[in-house]
Amino acid sequence: MLRTVINKLVGSVAAIFGASIISFVFLRVLPGNPARLIVGPLAPASSLLSVEKQMGLDQPVIVQYGRYMTSFLRGDWGFSYGAGVPVTTEMASRLPASLELGFYAFLLAFVAAVICALLATYRYRPVTDGVVRGTAFFGLSVPPFWFGLLALLLFFATWGILPGPEGRLSTSTTPPPSITHFYTIDALLHGQLSTFVDAVRHLILPAITLGLAPFSYLVRLLRANLLDVSREPFIIVVRSKGIGRFLAFARHALPNAFLPTLTAAGLVLAQLLSGSVLVEKVFNWPGVGALVTDSILRQDNAIVQTFILLSATAYVVVNLVVDILYGVIDPRVRIS
Amino acid sequence: MSAAEIGNPVQPVEPGLRAEHRDSLLAVRGLRKTYTTGGGGLLGGERRTVRAVDGVSFDVARGETFGLVGESGCGKSTVARCVLHLINPTEGEIRFDGVDLGSLGHDELRKLRRRMQIVFQDPFTSLDPRMTAYSIVDEPLGIHGVHDREERERRVEEMLDLVGITPEQMDRRPFAFSGGQRQRIGLARALVLNPDLVVLDEPVSALDVSIQAQVLNLLRDLQARLGLTYLFIVHDLTIAEYFCDRLAVLYLGAVMELGDRETLFRAPLHPYTNALLSAVPLPDPRRERRRKRIIIKGEASPQSGAVQGCRFRPRCPVGQDRDICRQSEPPLQEKAPGHWAACHFAGELPTGWEAGAEKS
Amino acid sequence: MNTPVEQPTSDDAVLRVQHMRTEFVGDQGVVAAVRDVGMTVNRAEKVGIVGESGSGKSALALSILGLIEPPGRIVSGSVWLNGRDIPFRDDREMRRIRGKEISLIFQDPMSSLDPVKNIGDQIIEGIVWHQQGVSRRQARKQAVELLQDVEIPNAERRLHDYPHQYSGGMRQRIMIAIALANEPSVIIADEPTTALDVLTQAQVLDVLQRLVTERQVAVILITHNLGIVAEFCDKVQVMYAGRFVEQSMVDEIFYRPTHPYTEALLESVPRPDRLERGILPSIPGSPPNLARLPAGCSFEPRCSVGHGKQICKEQVPVSLTVGSPMRPVVAECHFARERFEHSAQHVEGAPV
Repeated sequence: MLRTVINKLVGSVAAIFGASIISFVFLRVLPGNPARLIVGPLAPASSLLSVEKQMGLDQPVIVQYGRYMTSFLRGDWGFSYGAGVPVTTEMASRLPASLELGFYAFLLAFVAAVICALLATYRYRPVTDGVVRGTAFFGLSVPPFWFGLLALLLFFATWGILPGPEGRLSTSTTPPPSITHFYTIDALLHGQLSTFVDAVRHLILPAITLGLAPFSYLVRLLRANLLDVSREPFIIVVRSKGIGRFLAFARHALPNAFLPTLTAAGLVLAQLLSGSVLVEKVFNWPGVGALVTDSILRQDNAIVQTFILLSATAYVVVNLVVDILYGVIDPRVRIS
Repeated sequence: MSAAEIGNPVQPVEPGLRAEHRDSLLAVRGLRKTYTTGGGGLLGGERRTVRAVDGVSFDVARGETFGLVGESGCGKSTVARCVLHLINPTEGEIRFDGVDLGSLGHDELRKLRRRMQIVFQDPFTSLDPRMTAYSIVDEPLGIHGVHDREERERRVEEMLDLVGITPEQMDRRPFAFSGGQRQRIGLARALVLNPDLVVLDEPVSALDVSIQAQVLNLLRDLQARLGLTYLFIVHDLTIAEYFCDRLAVLYLGAVMELGDRETLFRAPLHPYTNALLSAVPLPDPRRERRRKRIIIKGEASPQSGAVQGCRFRPRCPVGQDRDICRQSEPPLQEKAPGHWAACHFAGELPTGWEAGAEKS
Repeated sequence: MNTPVEQPTSDDAVLRVQHMRTEFVGDQGVVAAVRDVGMTVNRAEKVGIVGESGSGKSALALSILGLIEPPGRIVSGSVWLNGRDIPFRDDREMRRIRGKEISLIFQDPMSSLDPVKNIGDQIIEGIVWHQQGVSRRQARKQAVELLQDVEIPNAERRLHDYPHQYSGGMRQRIMIAIALANEPSVIIADEPTTALDVLTQAQVLDVLQRLVTERQVAVILITHNLGIVAEFCDKVQVMYAGRFVEQSMVDEIFYRPTHPYTEALLESVPRPDRLERGILPSIPGSPPNLARLPAGCSFEPRCSVGHGKQICKEQVPVSLTVGSPMRPVVAECHFARERFEHSAQHVEGAPV
C-alpha cells in the first residue's frame, strides 16, 4: 500500500513538472513579445532590449525556465505587468473567489446528482427516471453562459429575488475579515450572519450555472451504475436474507455504484476549481477565470504560467486523493 | 484405422523420440507459455511467473477430432491460442502441415492462417452485432483476398445453407438469432475459407442441452463432408467422450494423460483422469445411488516458480504421501500403445466411469 | 435399490405452491414466465426443477421468495410454508420469512457476494437480522461455525477476507453457509454448481448433501444438468415454457419418462457410460418464444409424438395423473396415459 502511494506521488510530481515545461515552452514560442507590450508600440529598440534583458527574455528558454521554476518554488511567482502587482498578490485576491464558487458548484452538483440518481433508480419509476434523464440531457446540451443570462433575467431582472451580476457581495456589504478567504465561512466564523446570507445569495445563481453541466454528467454516470449494480445477483442474495429493499440498496448497491464514479467526480472537482471564464464574466465574478482571459490577451505570461501550473496541480492532487481513496474504500484495490 | 495408429505424442524431455508421423496435420512439441505479473511502477512490485502451459506435446492427425480437456486454468485455451499463433508461445514448436509456424514471417503466417480457423465459446459476444449474418460470413473472404464477387456470393450462401441458415435469414443481425443459430453462423464464418483445421473452443458450453445436440451433430456432419480436422477444447467430459477420437487431459499446464477415447474413458491410468470421471454425475439415478464418488480435496492453484515433484500430488489420492511423487516429476510415458500417462503409479486405481461403482 | 425414494405424503409437506403466475412486461408486451404452476415439497426432500433457459425456473424461484421486481409482477398464487399461508407478495412481511424459513443459493459465485464487504459481515448480516438479541460477537461465532460446517479451512481468520480472495468453489460454500445461517426448512438452489469445474462441483454437492441430511432441510435444486438431478434429487419437476410438463419420482423420470419433452431431453445428452456414438437425437427447433406461444400444447412444434396432430395443435393439455397412488406421475400431455402404459411394458423386463 505504502509503495503504491509513493509510486503515485512520484508520478504526480513528474506530471506537474511535465505540465510546467510544456506550458512554459508554449508561451515562449507563441508569437508576440511581452516586452513590446510593456514599452509600448512606439518605444525605441534600445528600451525594448533593456526591458527584455530585465525580464530575462534574452536568455535561452532552458535558462529562463530554470530561473522561473526556482523562484516559483521559493514563492516568487513573478510580476504581472498587466496589473502592475506581483502575481501572488493578484492571485491572492482572485483565487479564493474562484475556489469558493467552484467548491459550492461541485457540492451542489454532487449532492443533487446523488439524490436524483437515487430517485430515478430506487424501485421502478419510469416517470421520475424520465424527468431526471431529461434534465441531464438539457444540462449537458445548454451553454452555461446562456443559462446564466437566462437565470439572471428571471431571478434578478424579472422577479428580483436574487442579486444581479455584482460579484461576491452587495456593494453595501464589506467583506468579512480574512481567515479562509471563503466569504461564507469567514462570515460565519465572525458571527456576521447578514454577510453570510448576502454571500450565499450571491453564490446561488453562479453555482447553479457552473454546476449544471457537471451535475448532468455525474447523474448520468451514477444512474447507469446504480441500474447495473441493482441488477447484480448479490442484491437479490442480500434480499433473500430478509434484508429490506431500502437497506439492501443503501448498504450494498450504493457503495458499489459509487466507486466507479469517484474518478469522474474528482475530475469534475478539479475542473470547477480552476474557474470558468464565461460564468465569471456573466456574473461579474472576480475570479481567476476572468483574470486569465484578460492576461492571455495582454500576453501577461507570468499570470498565465502560474494559472496553468496551479490548475495542473489541482488536477494531479485531486487525482492522487481519488486514487488513495480507492485504496481505502475498495478491498479489491487494497488487497491485491 | 484406429486412433492409436494415427499419431503419437513425443515426450517433451526427449523430442524426436518418434519420427513425425506422415499423417499428422498438427504437431505441438514442448509448448510453454509463461506470464509475468507484477513488477510494474517505478519502485516495482513482486514479480511472479505463472506457467500457463508447461511443456505440452501432442499430434493431431488429419481428419480426427483431438480433445483437450481439463478444469478451468489448466491451460487448454492457451494451448489453442498458441496453436493458431494468436498469442506467441514462450517456448516450443508448432508445426502445421510440416511447417514450423515460429519460422514464418507475418505475411506467410497470415496466408497459412486461412487454413486454421477458430470457433469461440460465447455465441453472444463473438459476432459483431452491427453486421448481418451474410456479411459476417463474407468478411473473412475479403480479408484473405477473395475478390471475385460471384464466387464470394456462392461460397457464403453455400456455407450458410450448410449450417442451416435459410436465405431469408441471411440479412438479419445477430440479435435476431438464438444462441444455437449464432453458433452456426460462427461456424459458417470459420468454414468459409475452406480450412483444414478448426479449433473449437467450448463451442456448445453456452448452449441449452437440446441445442447442444443439434450443434454437435452439425459439427460431426460437416467434418465428414468437408474432411475437417478438429482441435476441440472442452471441459464437459461427457461431451468430450462423445465427440473426440483422441484426447489429452491437462492439469496445471501439463498433459497428465493422452490416449484414444475408449481406453481413456474405460481404463484411465492417471489418478487425475480417474477423479474427473468419478466426479461427473451420470443421468442414471440407480447407478448414482450405488456409486461411491472419489472426492478430491482442494483446488488447482497455479504455482509460481519451479514445481518439485508431481503437480497433482497435493490432491492425489494415490501419491499424496509418497516420496517419489514429492521428489520427481513423472514424465509422460507410453504405458500401452498410444496410451500415455504422466504418473509414477499409473493404473493403480479402480478406473473409468465405473470407478467406485461397486464399492459400497 | 438401496435408497428408498420418499413418498409424497401431504402431512409431511413443508412448502406448497399453488397457481403461481408471474408476468414480465417487455418489448413484446406482457410475457408470462411462470404460468399457473404448483408444487409440493416435503420435509428434507430434494426436489429437482429441470428446464432449459427461458423455461421460467429462475422466475419461479424468485416468485416463491416474493423477489420479483418491477417490471415483473406476480399475478396470482399462494405459498404455504411450515403450516401456514405466507404473504409472499407483501415485501414487509416477507422480510421476517426470507432467510429464516426459506433461503436462496444463487448460480454465479462470482457475482452473488457483495465485492466490497468482507464475507464475515455478509454472513452476519442475515443472522443479526433474524435472531433477536444476538450480539455481533455471538453472530460472529455462529458465522465461524457455519464456515467450518461448509469445510472452509481457517474459518476464524478468513472471516475478514473479501469475496475476491476466495475461489469459485469456496464462494459457493459461503453461499451455502449464508443460506443455512438461520436454519431454514427450505433452500432454493438455483444452478448452484453450473459455474464450477467438475471436481469442485462434486465437492460442493457433497457438502450440500451432507448438510441436508444433517439438518433435515428440503432443497429445491434448479438445474439443466440431468446428471446432477440423478445424483441429488428424490423428485423431479420438468419445466417447459413456464409450466411443469412432468412431475414424478426421479426413477420414473429417468427410466420411464412420460412426457415426450422429458424423453427427448434425456436422449439428447451424450451418455458417457455408453460408448456407442451415433447421431445424437436432438430436439428440433428452439425453445418457444413466450410472447407467442402456440394455441395448443406449447411443445407441439418440436414434439416427436404430437407434431401436426389436431388435438395437440388446438387444445392445451391438462395435467394427467398416471402411475400408482404411491408413485404418481403427473404429465401435461394428451398422450400421457398411452405413453405411460406403453413404457410400463417396456420397463417390465429391465433390471431394477
